[in-house]
Amino acid sequence: MSAAAARARICVRNLGKTYGLRGREVHAVDSVSFEIFEGEFVALIGPSGCGKSTILNIVAGLLPINAGEVAIDSERVVAGHPNRQVGYVFQRDTVFPWRTVARNVGYGLELAGVPRAECEQRVARMIEGAGLEGFGDAFPLALSGGMRQRVALMRTLITQPEILLMDEPFGALDTHTKLEMHKILLEIWEREQQTVLFVTHDLGEALTLSDRIVVLSARPGRVKEICEVKLPRPRDAVSLRESPDFAAAFSRIWHSLGEEFRKGHAE
Amino acid sequence: MSPGRVRLGMTVGRALLVAVVLAVWQWGFLLNARYDWLIPDLLDPYFVSRPSEIWARFLRMACLVDRSGAWTIGQTAGFWGCLGRTENNLWIGTLVTLKNTFWGFLVGVSSGVVTGLVLGRWDLAARFCEPFIVAANSIPRIALIPFIILMFGLGDLSKIVTASVIVYFVVFFNTFEGARGVDRDHIAVSRLFGASQWQITTTVIIPSTMGWVFASLTPAVSFSLIGVIVGEFIGAERGVGKIIVEAEARAQSADMMVALFVLMVVGVALAMAIRRVQGYLLRWQAHFQKGQ
Repeated sequence: MSAAAARARICVRNLGKTYGLRGREVHAVDSVSFEIFEGEFVALIGPSGCGKSTILNIVAGLLPINAGEVAIDSERVVAGHPNRQVGYVFQRDTVFPWRTVARNVGYGLELAGVPRAECEQRVARMIEGAGLEGFGDAFPLALSGGMRQRVALMRTLITQPEILLMDEPFGALDTHTKLEMHKILLEIWEREQQTVLFVTHDLGEALTLSDRIVVLSARPGRVKEICEVKLPRPRDAVSLRESPDFAAAFSRIWHSLGEEFRKGHAE
Repeated sequence: MSPGRVRLGMTVGRALLVAVVLAVWQWGFLLNARYDWLIPDLLDPYFVSRPSEIWARFLRMACLVDRSGAWTIGQTAGFWGCLGRTENNLWIGTLVTLKNTFWGFLVGVSSGVVTGLVLGRWDLAARFCEPFIVAANSIPRIALIPFIILMFGLGDLSKIVTASVIVYFVVFFNTFEGARGVDRDHIAVSRLFGASQWQITTTVIIPSTMGWVFASLTPAVSFSLIGVIVGEFIGAERGVGKIIVEAEARAQSADMMVALFVLMVVGVALAMAIRRVQGYLLRWQAHFQKGQ
């Protein structure tokens, strides 16, 4: 991705975050720095409790910062003022159960006051792209977990955000559905080239999707190393996993990560 | 057994049960003279009347037959003349009770929803009001009725106020819980799309809370009816409750039974209507899905 590496879109510098938990201070994140360039797909990986979701939520403007600085397009991120160019996909199922699939997908356009006819057209295109034809009028209740997460993804993508923040979006899905989602996401990303920060604890997922992997240490989260993923694109989510390059990259990062997972458990 | 046969069996069984109960009610007491260990004195028609009498009184009270027992339908003056003569006949009483139930329901539900939403989303105000709400809620609502009648008189207004006070708390607590329990991530989704506070309220908080509000409508409608009827017991000019207490005063058990049956029909109709509305509005919730 050296061609696109001209402009840093997300800039995290010496980020620190402490929580007050029952009168005790918990260091969640400690002087984390990294950059994400235009059109780059970066995965943030680490053991649970290492503060990777915290970092993501700070970048999204959902959580206040204690120390350091986060900037999107050289503009400081202030908690409570989310950037409109940023799309966020949650780990949890956040599809609105009281809205039909079509009205869920069109939510962002509705808020922005996009005329109804245009809104319907764009929603129909999104629904088709996600393989959800015929489910536009269904309520989320009738959908499987994978379909619901596709609805949530389309709801985020319809406003065409240039930056995507994803918090273990496929963490709750079974392996098969997960690979399916990787395929869909890769297709979209190859086409639209968003700048992505993707939080996960699944190394295979990180390798499949990303250009670089930021490995975080056990709590307090620090950047342990940043690995380039040199697997060729376009990638196929399934056959990629069978390639020797994938296996080599996997085992190298696995050991580095394994140490941190053990520390995380020991705590 | 196939579901169709089970259903048929159910229907037949229920019809038989109703027939047996009606028959015992009608003729059972004749056995009392001989077998008083079998049919207790309490089943004396003086207290419980009997189906044939209740039916006859129903026709009279509803102005469907005149004093001589002839049908009023087709007679020019018959039905309307009868309606005009008594100021609290079955029709007028039922309509008055229904009207007051409706208004009590409407006022109670709307005020409960509004205050529940406000306090559910405004934590400081909720904490401030908590002791007052607990105190007000601790008064048995029925105990307020004489006070309400003293304030608003014997007319319809006091029944509407009574019903709405009872309905209010049911709906308020449901709305309050619902508004507090709105999924934070749903709000975050909305905020990340750049929604204003007002947009968050209308597109997330209200629709999400409505699930709780609608769920409280079934008890709300029956509580409203209870409020109106009890209000009519304590002091009223018209209404089904008034018919019941008058029948009690004159020991006219058949009249009382007619009023009770009318209330039963009204209650079933109201519950079915609410159920339909709920089924549509809550079609996104699991237990209101079609075929379940």
